[in-house]
Amino acid sequence: MSKLVEKRTVDMEVIGEWVNPGSRVLDLGCGRGALLQYLVQTKDAAGVGVDLDFGRITAAVARGLSAYQGDMTSFMRQFPDRHFDRIICSRTVQELDDPTGVILEALRVGRALTVGFVNHGFWKNRVDALLRGRKVRNDVYTTEWFESRPANPVTIADFEHFCAAKGITITRRAHLLGDWRTPCPMLPNLFAGYALYDLAR
Amino acid sequence: MTDPEENESVRTALSPGDIGLVAPRDFTSTQPFTFKTGQVLPGFTLRYETYGELNATRDNAVLICHALSGDHHCAGVHALEDRKPGWWNNLIGPGKAVDTKRFFVVCANVLGGCVGSSGPMSIDPVTGQPYGISFPFVTILDMVRSQKLLLEHLGVASLHAVIGGSMGGMTALQFAIEYPAFTRRVLAMATTSRESAQAIAFNEVGRQAIMQDPDWNHGNYPKGGGPRVGLAIARMMAHITYVSDASMDRKFGRRKKTSANGEAYNFDVQFEVESYLRHQGQAFINRFDANSYLYITRALDQFDLAHAYGSLEAAFAPVQAESLIVGFTSDWLFPPEQNRQIALALLRAGKSASYAELATDLGHDSFLLESEDLYALVRAFLERHESTAVDFSI
Repeated sequence: MSKLVEKRTVDMEVIGEWVNPGSRVLDLGCGRGALLQYLVQTKDAAGVGVDLDFGRITAAVARGLSAYQGDMTSFMRQFPDRHFDRIICSRTVQELDDPTGVILEALRVGRALTVGFVNHGFWKNRVDALLRGRKVRNDVYTTEWFESRPANPVTIADFEHFCAAKGITITRRAHLLGDWRTPCPMLPNLFAGYALYDLAR
Repeated sequence: MTDPEENESVRTALSPGDIGLVAPRDFTSTQPFTFKTGQVLPGFTLRYETYGELNATRDNAVLICHALSGDHHCAGVHALEDRKPGWWNNLIGPGKAVDTKRFFVVCANVLGGCVGSSGPMSIDPVTGQPYGISFPFVTILDMVRSQKLLLEHLGVASLHAVIGGSMGGMTALQFAIEYPAFTRRVLAMATTSRESAQAIAFNEVGRQAIMQDPDWNHGNYPKGGGPRVGLAIARMMAHITYVSDASMDRKFGRRKKTSANGEAYNFDVQFEVESYLRHQGQAFINRFDANSYLYITRALDQFDLAHAYGSLEAAFAPVQAESLIVGFTSDWLFPPEQNRQIALALLRAGKSASYAELATDLGHDSFLLESEDLYALVRAFLERHESTAVDFSI
């Protein structure tokens, strides 16, 4: 678990570097608000988070954050173009029913969109699938198939293809190795465990 | 809202964490009070209760705002033999979500009410008779302005929070708009920024039931008299809007009164739900004034922040308070969507605002629900940022 917490912080630090001080930030799938609180404290961000779960909203409220319980696309539709300086979608894309709809709507209401995800093309996942023939399980995806909810795993290659197909500009990338810390020097779809993208229209 | 005895939250009056004995007091302002309509009263009285102590910096006050048929008695008991405590006793008390060990809790009967505050039942000094419908028309803004005077009288420098459900939620929002520098948190539940056509329609049926009763007599009736049938019917109808199909079915189903003949095709009480509603109506006429019911429902109908300020965002522009709006899935009087719109407008106006939605099947009155989830949320909102404001007093 401590390994996971450590990984969480690395994620935060990279995103933190990309957020300009004083930005108006929207966190899609904010959970208990740890990332948003970090951005408020270190970047003086004016943040709001969206999540579906009452308990997670309560935790985010306790942290002093603005948190909204509801569907993220319906939420974004209520705001004018470019209302937010930055939208963050961290480890959420693989859970979305309609990733295209969410990402395009986020690029309408946000000047920039940061997407972070676990790369399912990571070599260990490939080896695992090839040799074990079982659902991927690791530090991040800890559950058995029968304990899991449906998810829509994404790889770096999938995501790059998506951006190209939709004409979305990638302004920044960060590919990190399996430790989620060391920059990945080559063949990211094979060697990167975690990927972060900064997108614009 | 329904009577506290109807909530599944009633316990014995002196459970652990309860305040115990409390007593109402009266605040009388002798300054002329100008209503939103321009009408003037030479002065007014608000009946109120307080729990807990005002701190040295006079900034730990929490104002509780009641709903249409509520009053100032929101926690504790007036006598040890009282059958039921104040209407929000489950939320307010020592160690509870609204912790009276930390906060100085104030709750007043609204202007236009009938439980001790100035209203149509009050005596007009000019005629020596009750005002009746010559009492000035009351708005939510008038309720807010009169309660601000009470808070000043009590020496409150600023509000830690203003909290309310239903009409109390409207009052809380209006308070944050009217007194931005005075209000640090606003918590509004099961409410709306704009009374909908459906809600106005229900209010109108209630008013017609009262006004079509010959005993209403254009609002002129002696104390203890008046349109008892009309007021009871208004209450029976309104009561249905505070609950839900599911909760009524669970509580009554199609059960029949034991006294009812199984096959009797007549119009006596047959179903328990009928008996229950009749009891609700009868209980209400013994504690509520028909003219007050007309005035307060009219205040609800008039409430439309977007119209009053040009837009909802413009209404919220002055707000400095952090806000939390709570909707309840089964509330069909002020549905979740209307609560969501409040939070969204606050966010669009660049304010600190949160929205949470509790899944319940109890209808509008869910805000009075005994729910650990709701308590945790209220506590989180009231006690956050406390680390930055450490109290060094012993």
